[in-house]
Amino acid sequence: MTNRHSQLAADVCEIVGEQREYRELLVRLTARDLLLRYKQTVMGVGWAMFMPLVNTAVFSLIFMRVAPIDAGLPYPVFAYCGLLAWNFFAASQRFAVVSLTSNTNLVTKVYCPREMFPFSAIAVSLVDFAVGSLVLAGLMAYYRIGVGWPLLLLPVVVVVHVAFTTAVALLLAMANLFYRDVKYLFEIVLTVWMFASSVVYPIDRVGGRLGALLMLNPMTPIIDAYRATLLRQELPAAAPFAYAAVVAMAMLAVAWVSFHRAEFQFAENI
Amino acid sequence: MERAPIVFESVWKKFRRGERHDSLRDLIPSIVRRVSGRAVRDELVDQEFWAVRDVSFSVGAGEALGIIGPNGAGKSTILKLLTRILKPTRGRCEVRGRAGALIEVAAGFHPDLTGRENVFLQGALMGMKQAEIGRKFDEIVEFAGVSEFIDTPVKRYSSGMNARLGFAIAAHLDPDVLIIDEVLSVGDARFQERCLERMRELRRRGTPLVFVSHNLLAVLELCTRALLIERGRVRFDGTPAATIQEYRSARPSGDEPSHDGDARITGVQLLDQRGRPAHAIETDGWLTVRIHYETSRPIDRPHFGVDVVRGDGVHCYGTNTRIDRLEIAEIDGAGHVDLVIPRLCLLPGCYSLSVAIQDTHGVRPHDVQYQAYPFAVTSERRDLGLVYLEHRWQLNQLSVGQSSVVNLNGVATR
Repeated sequence: MTNRHSQLAADVCEIVGEQREYRELLVRLTARDLLLRYKQTVMGVGWAMFMPLVNTAVFSLIFMRVAPIDAGLPYPVFAYCGLLAWNFFAASQRFAVVSLTSNTNLVTKVYCPREMFPFSAIAVSLVDFAVGSLVLAGLMAYYRIGVGWPLLLLPVVVVVHVAFTTAVALLLAMANLFYRDVKYLFEIVLTVWMFASSVVYPIDRVGGRLGALLMLNPMTPIIDAYRATLLRQELPAAAPFAYAAVVAMAMLAVAWVSFHRAEFQFAENI
Repeated sequence: MERAPIVFESVWKKFRRGERHDSLRDLIPSIVRRVSGRAVRDELVDQEFWAVRDVSFSVGAGEALGIIGPNGAGKSTILKLLTRILKPTRGRCEVRGRAGALIEVAAGFHPDLTGRENVFLQGALMGMKQAEIGRKFDEIVEFAGVSEFIDTPVKRYSSGMNARLGFAIAAHLDPDVLIIDEVLSVGDARFQERCLERMRELRRRGTPLVFVSHNLLAVLELCTRALLIERGRVRFDGTPAATIQEYRSARPSGDEPSHDGDARITGVQLLDQRGRPAHAIETDGWLTVRIHYETSRPIDRPHFGVDVVRGDGVHCYGTNTRIDRLEIAEIDGAGHVDLVIPRLCLLPGCYSLSVAIQDTHGVRPHDVQYQAYPFAVTSERRDLGLVYLEHRWQLNQLSVGQSSVVNLNGVATR
């Protein structure tokens, strides 16, 4: 038992040490991916705003004209906020799942902490997230939604959101390296997952046993927390958000340590 | 006592032959096996084999270890273990400090990024701080000789430019230990010379060095010790010259036979005055070149020849039994011929021997092995050039009254 504890402590030390040693690599890899992404596009970072805007328009049409629902907020701003947060998660995963396999050259030939690849995928999506939130600010101004002191809690929400995203990204990147099916399987899961989170409609409308089951999904309290702190000027619902925070942190710790332990097999199994 | 910066202790590494399971349908059985605890680490199951078996060595400050051996012997695996890309199945592998690895020096390059962007990226991959790269940037670009193209995407670079830029970054890393894999195969002769110069410089500063190469002469020149690896095991561990000789003598007669089937050279030994194997020979020392031969039929009046070639290709000396007007009536079966050189007279450096058996007219060779047997010459002498010429200095001074000849060895003669 003590042996396992000291092993864990050693792993954590190593993880922290490597993060410190290679922190500039993360910046460089992220810069590389951003550069590559936008080097030959005309719209550049404009794409980061364009995609959630189109989605918002489509869902606004559905939920305002075809099957109107009351979201308690102007629907477009409700949907855009949800889509923006969801897109950060989804884009991070799409990018992270292939982050190791698309860097075969580096994984097999150079040593660096392999977390850097999924991490840079997340960092790139985070930049898009920041750019996309400018549009949210615009929408909030248009619908005359002010801000209140609960906004101070926004950084906590972002941290939980990023932690959960990172945990899933680490597991996916690792899984896809060993089993390439993961990439395809995950596309399907992602689509279902979006409608199982309160991205474009309030999830509590589902109700019943299925509704209770859906509350286990940490993405719902996270997205709801964005709407609470940004759009409703209120605190996030305490219990669900605390649950999401605990799940996110626990998953991150487990995912990171397992990733670190599996790391040395990457070069021979890629 | 301080521990050596590079320690490799009874390292074993297991690999799997062929495809591994790569999709979910194979995952379930493998999980079942793992849970039921059947996957024992030390045993070989179905397709597995040991790529490295029980290899131990350590490299201290100022030491340079050469690793030689045939293709597929496990040399590159050892390097990947040293650079932490792979982890040993058993044993311990420790490298302290920042390891500069001259392996795949351009691995981190992205074709769509410019040279400048790639320098920063590759530098970061090697663990350099951005400020450090910024400081050395001009020097790196200068060393690589690509300053005009530094803002061009590297996809438009020639492969030589690519390699030079990669090496330039690695060379400016100021590593605590340096690990090198056959970098000398890229670039032109001048660039290779610069690479070697950079390695010598690091070695002089006391940076421990591990060098894998097929270039035996470079190993001879650069290393203080060498390992011969064969099928994952250390077959020989000693001075570079001894290891290289072992490698040469153990090598099966080549991929394509150099001989015509009638007679062949089965081995060449370099011996000292007392008939013991000589690894490094003194300038004033004795050298016996023993050529072992074997014939499949009686050979009438053959000739044996030996050439000495310096590392840079300069032909220093050549002789054969024909030139020396010797006649060997006939050879049949196995035997050996000795060329005895009582005083070598070559100045310090790396040399190799070419050895041949020729027919009686010196026209058709039975077997020729070009530059197949490297050796090193060492000396306290600091004379320059290729050979030591027997000499002495004399000062003749005409002064008023008497003339004297002073032998500068100290004894004055009148």
